[in-house]
Amino acid sequence: MPQTSASLKTSLIGWRMPVTSSTKPVPVQTATTATEPRTSLSKTIRVRLRVPARLRNLELALLLVACGIVAFAIVLVQLGALGHVDSTIVTISAGLAVLVLAMHLVMRVVAPQADPLILPIITLLNGVGIAEIYRIDIAYGASGWDSAGIRQIVWTGMAIVIAIAVLILVRNHRVLQRYRYIAMFTGVVLLLLPMLPLIGRTINGARVWIGIGPFSFQPGELAKVALAIFFAGYLVTARDSLSMVGRKFLGMRLPRARDLGPILVVFAASMIVLIFQKDLGTSLLYFGLFLVMLYVATGRASWIVLGLGMFALGALVAYKALTYVNGRVHSWLNAFSATNYNAKGGSYQIVQGIFGLAHGGMLGTGLGRGAPQKTPLATSDFIFSSLGEELGLVGIFAILALYLLFVSRGLRIGFTGQDDFGRLLGVGLAFVVALQVFIVIGGVTRVIPLTGLTTPFLAAGGSSLVANWIIAALLLRLSDAIRSAPPVGMPA
Amino acid sequence: MSELTLLILRLAFLAILWLFVFAVVYALRSDLFGHRLRRQGADMTSPFAGAPVAVAAPPGAAALIDAPTAAVTIPRASDRKEAHRLVITSGPKEGLEIELPSEQLAIGRSSESGLVIRDDYTSTHHARLLLWNDGWVVQDLDSTNGTFLDGTRVTLPTLVPLNTPVTIGTTTFELRR
Repeated sequence: MPQTSASLKTSLIGWRMPVTSSTKPVPVQTATTATEPRTSLSKTIRVRLRVPARLRNLELALLLVACGIVAFAIVLVQLGALGHVDSTIVTISAGLAVLVLAMHLVMRVVAPQADPLILPIITLLNGVGIAEIYRIDIAYGASGWDSAGIRQIVWTGMAIVIAIAVLILVRNHRVLQRYRYIAMFTGVVLLLLPMLPLIGRTINGARVWIGIGPFSFQPGELAKVALAIFFAGYLVTARDSLSMVGRKFLGMRLPRARDLGPILVVFAASMIVLIFQKDLGTSLLYFGLFLVMLYVATGRASWIVLGLGMFALGALVAYKALTYVNGRVHSWLNAFSATNYNAKGGSYQIVQGIFGLAHGGMLGTGLGRGAPQKTPLATSDFIFSSLGEELGLVGIFAILALYLLFVSRGLRIGFTGQDDFGRLLGVGLAFVVALQVFIVIGGVTRVIPLTGLTTPFLAAGGSSLVANWIIAALLLRLSDAIRSAPPVGMPA
Repeated sequence: MSELTLLILRLAFLAILWLFVFAVVYALRSDLFGHRLRRQGADMTSPFAGAPVAVAAPPGAAALIDAPTAAVTIPRASDRKEAHRLVITSGPKEGLEIELPSEQLAIGRSSESGLVIRDDYTSTHHARLLLWNDGWVVQDLDSTNGTFLDGTRVTLPTLVPLNTPVTIGTTTFELRR
């Protein structure tokens, strides 16, 4: 081709297709014009090959830094808690670093234009979580398969492998739209699975687990991915009827009564989770996810008002009728009263967490130097207060900043998406992580009543890790689709 | 390992954590998504650019003139005698009526289209209606499944008479006065 590299560069920046590409290659009629788009097609391919892997190089650099920080954290834990460096855990964690780098290499091939920041951010969050869980293992004296740290490392490895599989198998996110009803079915089955008699398990009062042999799994975590796909696929097709018709009232366009069906179904599902599985957090998460995706799809504030009204009503009824919700609210409002503190299932845990945060202060006690093991469930639900104790306000603000960056990348992917399904899915996946972080950390810091959810990427729990790594893989796939897609205006 | 070394190490850890955050923010600064070319906007300003014009011209290479036809006089919306409304007669949005714009109407799956049709048979930019010498002309934009005027597939821009069904995917619409 006669082009110099300079002219190719300009076409790379502007993506300027020749005008003839919008005139059709009218099939039979003309041979001369039919060749025109073909040359431009080969040009496109050459231009794409010439794009340097700038994004991937940036990702590699940040990944190496993130792995270094994680290794530093583990060494600090050992110096603080044991007084010497023990190389076994560092070696096992190095295996995870290899897996993450493998994911990076896979992305160089299957998703070269994907967002370069997501993988380093979640690597760092996951690694800091492992370091803190390992630190609590040392305090408990747990080792081998009893230690939550080793299990967390193994689960992380599995989660990364599954994320790589998602990246390789889902080459085009629009395929997911076709499976929206399968996704719905999967989501509902996963949600209801813990209520089955044989495999369902009740742990700490919530019936959200299934157990097969020694393995226990929280299927509701995976359900959030399936439901996000379903909501996105469903709302893309249904949003016209949900957004255009209806009567105006008080400056808002209210939906018709017969369009209320979907929101009522999701509301009922989240109430079933609340009542029968006794899981406040999951119920809040799914309803919030649906509400936000509905709002993003239709742009009507009346859905938010309606949904929040329904949820407030449901919460009020639950507060009056369900003892465990009532207990949660009381230990939230009057956490420091002696009766609540001493009551079984009272505010002991949350108050211990707050004592931990106070002990940490501004700069923290240092990794391995605090006493996070005094809080029940310090590795899972209360990992945030454990980290707050040892890293201090400065440290947990850094962690919150990492979450903020992750969510902002996700929302950005949602906004820049070129097809409606991809946009909705991106916003939904990013929002579900944001909402979960808010619910957990809000619970631990007494902003809202404590609910049983895991902190994404940080907390011990295999199901949560797998689900969140799948979310990250889907966001990476979406972001790759944005940048490698032809510009707006090309015929499909 | 002395207390002082530990203190320095743990402060260093916090500093590195924040440095990582700032490194990510710095990478964000130069927006990594690059700038998107607003092709759609360019299309709107010159609706006839690149369109195979000349309905009356013989089919073939001569029909594909990509010079902008700025000389074409576009009649005002007020004094035209042709269709004013587009009515969807069958399909998911059956019954929907839209006012025809003054110059052109894009039809397709893309949300930038004037008439958005989302089904499995519609392309992102499927077809468009152009006002051409007091008559509406439908032009298929190389869609996968085609545009049909009264049952025959549209290959060249074709005049759409009043009350004649135009089918795109599962949707059929007519132009009415």
